[in-house]
Amino acid sequence: MTDTHHPGRRSFLAAGAACLGASWLLSGCSGAASGTVLPAAAPKGTPDRGGTLRIARPPASDAETLDPASSLSAYEYLGALYNRLVRVGSDGDLAPDLAESWETDTKARTWTFRLRKGVTFHDGRAFTSADAAYTLRHILDKATASPQAAVLAPLVDPKTLRTPDAHTLVVPLKSPNAEFPSLLTHYNCYVVPDGSAKSVGRTGIGTGPFKLESFAPAGPGRVTAYADHWAGRPVLDAISFYSVADMSARANALLAGQVDLLSQTNLDFATARVVAASARATVARVKNAQWYVLPMLTTDKPFTDVRVRQAMKLAYDPEHVVKVALQGAGTPGWDNPVPPDDPLHISAHPAHDPDQARHLLKQAGQEGLAVDLYTSAYDPLLTPMALAYQESAKRAGIRIRVKTAAADSYYTQIWMKKPLMATYWYTGRPVDQLFTQIFRSGSSYNETAWSDKDFDAVLDRARAETDATRRRELYGQAQNLVIEKGGAMTPMFADRLVGLSRKVRGYAEHGFEFDYLGIGLKGA
Amino acid sequence: MLAFVARRVAAAIGTLFLSSVLVFLALQALPGDVATQILGKDATPDAVATLRKQLGLDQPAWERYFDWIKGALHGDFGTSLVSGKPVGGEVAQYLANSALIAVVTILFAVTGSLVLGILAGLYRDRWADHLISTVSLVGMSVPEFVVATVLVLCFSVALPWFPAVVLYGPDASVGQLLPAVWLPALALAIVMAAYIVRMARTSVIDVMAGEYVTTARLKGLSTWRVVTRHALPSALLPTLHVIALNVAWLVGGVAVVENVFNYPGIGKLMLTSVQNRDLPVVQAVALISAVVYVVCNLAADLGAMALNPKLRTRGRT
Repeated sequence: MTDTHHPGRRSFLAAGAACLGASWLLSGCSGAASGTVLPAAAPKGTPDRGGTLRIARPPASDAETLDPASSLSAYEYLGALYNRLVRVGSDGDLAPDLAESWETDTKARTWTFRLRKGVTFHDGRAFTSADAAYTLRHILDKATASPQAAVLAPLVDPKTLRTPDAHTLVVPLKSPNAEFPSLLTHYNCYVVPDGSAKSVGRTGIGTGPFKLESFAPAGPGRVTAYADHWAGRPVLDAISFYSVADMSARANALLAGQVDLLSQTNLDFATARVVAASARATVARVKNAQWYVLPMLTTDKPFTDVRVRQAMKLAYDPEHVVKVALQGAGTPGWDNPVPPDDPLHISAHPAHDPDQARHLLKQAGQEGLAVDLYTSAYDPLLTPMALAYQESAKRAGIRIRVKTAAADSYYTQIWMKKPLMATYWYTGRPVDQLFTQIFRSGSSYNETAWSDKDFDAVLDRARAETDATRRRELYGQAQNLVIEKGGAMTPMFADRLVGLSRKVRGYAEHGFEFDYLGIGLKGA
Repeated sequence: MLAFVARRVAAAIGTLFLSSVLVFLALQALPGDVATQILGKDATPDAVATLRKQLGLDQPAWERYFDWIKGALHGDFGTSLVSGKPVGGEVAQYLANSALIAVVTILFAVTGSLVLGILAGLYRDRWADHLISTVSLVGMSVPEFVVATVLVLCFSVALPWFPAVVLYGPDASVGQLLPAVWLPALALAIVMAAYIVRMARTSVIDVMAGEYVTTARLKGLSTWRVVTRHALPSALLPTLHVIALNVAWLVGGVAVVENVFNYPGIGKLMLTSVQNRDLPVVQAVALISAVVYVVCNLAADLGAMALNPKLRTRGRT
């Protein structure tokens, strides 16, 4: 009876290929656009007052929340709705947000934050030190399961927080840390009202430049200008957030003029050229926004041997990787995870040396080393990076087999499980947080499982050092240890290619900082 | 006749149960569970343990499955592990949105391809026939997501007539969704059309060669009247069967196309809930898809039987 058999390709599984198909098609149609040079910066000029900016964003999950401390927070809303105590300025140094100033005792054991006066929450309540203290307790609360708790819990005992007056917060630390304020710049640390743990995920009440009008997890939402914001009213009247899970669909929405900005979206080069060549939209760059890593699991053979790790690093040329995988839109990493524009970055590094790599491999008894390198379509640059590494490392006689794994379970099945894989992080972590979270022995994000007593000791000394110059030297030493002995290869820092409407003015984003106050539209 | 229908219905129920077990097993075979999938990189052992407890994942999967089956038999499909909302209401909302696309698609595909099929049949082996047959075959051979993307590039990017994606959530009103329905429906219709076109063409050729058509012509009836009064009804019958099967196929095809358009329908719900390993939602969607498939096949079989005396009487011999 059922003699009309439908081909197997018409199955549900083909959905996965949809993303690939769309970008292939875009690049296929871009014959005329392939000569387009990607713009170096967003359109300049001042925006007009008012208007509604429409942002398309990838949803975190159907269980998204507006609670900043949660691992399921809807990231784009946070900067619009809330403030932190401390933020990162455009020069990479700390800048005041709700804390006007901060100081420590001579041993970096107790930190005192002087809080801004005359700040109100969206519900009209005044912001005081009680809210600041509550925010820290909320992050450290086990029930919140905040990712930032792992960083702050070893330092802060929630019971010892003191609020001597309404505008002073005193944080005694369990161990000295001269970089403590930098740890409060994380996007989990946005300040929420006292006692709001149960409600803030829905109400979004903060002190930020916009107040919440509506929010649906993994759905549309809207925030409107908060006229009483302490730093003045934002340029825009409102921002509409739309969640679009598929990346090509997001790009199509921009090209069709349905949205003005794509957040958390690094356009692949083909799509970026189509966007840049279109009449409605263009491309802006966030310099060195993504840190690309090839983590070697130091607990798995052959990477247990430090000589093999060194050989893997010396074997390839980061300049080649940047040229091939990034088409020049980024900076060679030279295996230093600290971004080149960070004030604490050191530029010294061993030179590319395939002969020395061969020599080290021979010493380690690993001549003609062959390893699997896992990658996936999770991010468009992972596979190009893996292939560029493969090609470059050939010169040292290292044979890399590039293996593609499923994107949807990449971070549960491959990451921290396979000895060698390709991954990336957003940059914007202060150095101390970066080292504590991703390189220190035993941290849950330590993706190379690297455990080095010298490194941990240098880190401890750096954190306790109150003299800024000495501290800079110690963080420099820590970088050298990561470069020489660590398991993480950092071939490159990539600029994020952000798609935005030609009408957008005042777009400024770096690390986890987004200027919601100044962004606006021309001809709004 | 009744015995045949009863047998078919019993087989359909068995199919539904089997599909539910298979979907469950397939989901168990996928790596990771809800907690690790949601948390991704933030899946630290602590966070995973907290989330698992919140979601009730500390019970074994089999137990959760039987709880689900028990509830489903009573019409309670449980609550989504991710959003915490009742699955029944959620699925119904997405299903209604997909139904909108399905109805428009079927209208497009059936009217369009019947007209084309009849034209091709009437002008057999002439240029119109070749053109229609070739174009419809190309439409069938190109994957639906490619057709969808080409349509977006043409009719939302180059010519801003239709929205490229849906920006609303599943609770969007029909008025909000309506402008966005046409492109996905057209994409699906193009892929679907070829079968119906070919079926209609063959039927028309068969019918037009029949003796009663010759008689009608000899009576002096115009070609138009011959086609509408004699050929069309006979040509429609076998085509109905193909249409029923195509409706069943829509359930799968819609999943792919909805993703391209960010359309809040059952296909997109299926995709995200599989990615999230959200067992109750996946089960409910799979069950509904299976119901649609089985019902369409059943309708096709019963329809064919009603039209074909040979099949109708076979059960009694």
